[in-house]
Amino acid sequence: MKPKDYRTALEPVWCTGCGDFGVLKALTQALSDLEVPVEKLAVISGIGCSSRLPGYVRSYAFNSVHGRALPIATGVKLARPEMTTVVVGGDGDGFSIGLGHIPHCVRRDVDLTYAVLDNGIYGLTKGQASPTTDPDLKRELGLAGAAERPLNPVLMLLGSGCGFVARTHAGNMPHLRAMFREAIRYPGFAFVHVLAACVTYQPGSYAESLWKRCTMIPDEYDATSFEKAVEMARAERFMLGVLYRRPPEQKPATAGPEEIHGVGIWPPVGATSESMFPV
Amino acid sequence: MNKTTVTPDPAPADAVQARATDSLVLGIVGSGGDGVALLGDLVLRMAAHRGLYGVLVQSYGPQIRGGESAVVLRIAREETHYEGDETDLLLCFRLADLRRFQGSIRLHPGSIVVLEAADASDPPEWLGRSELKPYRYPFATMVDGQEVPGDPKNMMGLALLCRALGWGPEHARHALEKRFSHRPQVLERNLTAFERGWAAHDVPALPVLHGHGVPLQVETGNEAVARGAIAAGLGFFAGYPITPSSEIMETLIEELPAAGGRVVQAEDEIAALGMVIGASFGGVPAMTATSGPGLSLMTEMLGLSSMAEIPAVVVDCQRVGPATGMPSRTEQSDLFHAVYGGHGDFPRAVLGVFDTVHARDVMFKAFHLAEAYQLPVLVLSDAYVAQRRQIRDAAVDRAEPPKRRAWKPGDAAARFDVTGAHGVGAFRIPGTEGGTYMAAGIEHTADGTPTSDTHTHHAMNTKRFRKLDGIAAETGDWFRALGRADAPLGIIAWGSMYGLLFEWVRENPEYRVFLPEILHPFPLAGLTAWRRGLAKTWTLELSFQRQFHRYLSSLTDLGGVIPIARSGGLPLSTAELSRMLTEASS
Repeated sequence: MKPKDYRTALEPVWCTGCGDFGVLKALTQALSDLEVPVEKLAVISGIGCSSRLPGYVRSYAFNSVHGRALPIATGVKLARPEMTTVVVGGDGDGFSIGLGHIPHCVRRDVDLTYAVLDNGIYGLTKGQASPTTDPDLKRELGLAGAAERPLNPVLMLLGSGCGFVARTHAGNMPHLRAMFREAIRYPGFAFVHVLAACVTYQPGSYAESLWKRCTMIPDEYDATSFEKAVEMARAERFMLGVLYRRPPEQKPATAGPEEIHGVGIWPPVGATSESMFPV
Repeated sequence: MNKTTVTPDPAPADAVQARATDSLVLGIVGSGGDGVALLGDLVLRMAAHRGLYGVLVQSYGPQIRGGESAVVLRIAREETHYEGDETDLLLCFRLADLRRFQGSIRLHPGSIVVLEAADASDPPEWLGRSELKPYRYPFATMVDGQEVPGDPKNMMGLALLCRALGWGPEHARHALEKRFSHRPQVLERNLTAFERGWAAHDVPALPVLHGHGVPLQVETGNEAVARGAIAAGLGFFAGYPITPSSEIMETLIEELPAAGGRVVQAEDEIAALGMVIGASFGGVPAMTATSGPGLSLMTEMLGLSSMAEIPAVVVDCQRVGPATGMPSRTEQSDLFHAVYGGHGDFPRAVLGVFDTVHARDVMFKAFHLAEAYQLPVLVLSDAYVAQRRQIRDAAVDRAEPPKRRAWKPGDAAARFDVTGAHGVGAFRIPGTEGGTYMAAGIEHTADGTPTSDTHTHHAMNTKRFRKLDGIAAETGDWFRALGRADAPLGIIAWGSMYGLLFEWVRENPEYRVFLPEILHPFPLAGLTAWRRGLAKTWTLELSFQRQFHRYLSSLTDLGGVIPIARSGGLPLSTAELSRMLTEASS
């Protein structure tokens, strides 16, 4: 099937130039690359601009309620393991109201692909600050919470023990397509952080500065190293690419002394059994 | 189940003089660690093995774990759902522990009281007076006037109870061997203590109560809900622990996988119902179970289930509310929430659980309604029925679980076609070729396209609410009437009031009782017919706001019907009901 064959007849409601068009296009391309049959595809979302996406993809789609796409997708995948299940949403849906579900989805390691279009703004409700809004932008636009620091979603997902963490930009179509393809293929919970700017509620200069802050992860990068992934996540610039891919043979991350060299927010990175439990 | 009959009991010393009875109420009170709960459970299971019926109600102090505890246990020749008013035998390991249970335990003039020998004080006044002298037994091991750890008191207590009940020691030994087969040291210690207690020959005898000899089954309301759901085709359960519903999830963790289903402990109640809706979207019958605080969190999801037309069964074991309330205490105050809770207009069905036996049946009905009408179905249980153990006949499950009508190529092109019978369209199960569609919490057209068109919204509301007409037509006889049809006095109640009222009409034939099995849509024609010829009628409930009375009065003219209600906490007793009826009528 060609990418366009994955589209329904519905016309998207998004503003011209919205990053969501990129996400929709790249997703259909990745699905086409992987030859996923439409009847074996579930696309689940909550509420927000990007959460309108399921209606545009031929699939068993579910546009549910704000912040709850992950639990619903978990139910779908556990009930119908044969379904390729993709969850889409925005930063408000995923990192604000729905944040509490993320680490638990990671712990369960249900085979979902979770793509968040993070434009750092509430677009649907007309321009309020989100948990990832840049503090300078909040000051500039007069939004609430200028003193509140933004979340680092990528670091947070790594910290929860997520086995696949990627970051991309909605304006880089080949990269977006490749990241979706990799994430869907990953046999476990996979997270794709899609950077974008809002064409309506953010100034053009913000979009430009965001784009300029992005750097591709070099080809020789070893994505199996958790420590390197954390470095990438903490870098000054937005590093784009697969930051972390836990090798399939490695046990899923769980927090606990026996997993000391695995991933997990506890014990801290770099801890050894000696430093944790001095004799 | 073990079908062997028990060893015959030794004949009473003077068989001619032994009084017979239909039921016996035993109260057991002690401190945490005395093993009161285990003792109660053992006696109940032994009674079940003898073919006696019974119920066991457990009561705790203010904490859920630790502290003093009490069980009230009633065993009877015939099926019973009420733990009785007055205690025929009270076994108390420490008198000071009784204080917390004022109101749950009362003596009558012929009650046998068994006390700790080292406890010189007398039972408190509120307990009531027995004409018999307390029987004192040295359960505690004392050194220099101080109690030290010793033989398990509950095992000595078991022996004394067997003596009083006229049950031979073989049955108790067998029960202990079965219970502790995997812990030989504990078994030996328990058997030793039992034999020590059995040596007490002079324990006063209770009236004789004969079982019919064929073993029966012990089940809690929560276990029955879980098993009823499995029998009704449950394939997926997600839940979050909450008193008093947790045992539903615990039972399902043990029993659902063997039946081919799956259980997930979710991170919260919102996620729990979310997963249930997701699994049901996937075509698998699914449910969750919770209590009031959890139901509050699930409320947005209830609307989603109804709006997106995805079946979901939600069991609410009501407890005292609001907020945290009193988690281990019973109340009937989630009725408004179940019937009305949530933003927007949406159809749902609400059922009430009478008792353990009914729980299995009601779960079948809940799944039938959910699967047939593609909407949320709430099942209201409560702490009283959820936690108490009941001896029941073996459950007979229906052969065919409810089946959702699945879409196949050639069926209606639109998932939410407004012309479907009772507003229900064939369900499109993911994986079915040609069936892709979008389910949505946003208002949508017949084919699932999001819309903000007023007329479409009204048309879709009309379609969705037609389901209630279908349900009402089908469930007109989903109620239970107790007592003589021509009795002049009537009580309308719901849910776990069944047990008390079952007892009430047996003792007071001038009363008849109406209990709806489905609360919404309400079987109104049945109620109207039942009310004919009544001289006086009351509604009865455990809700300060009188939610049931107010709900009913919104449906029908309740002129002349007297509401009697109080806040939840302890369940009602027949003595209290008698008083309330008199006070309300004067």
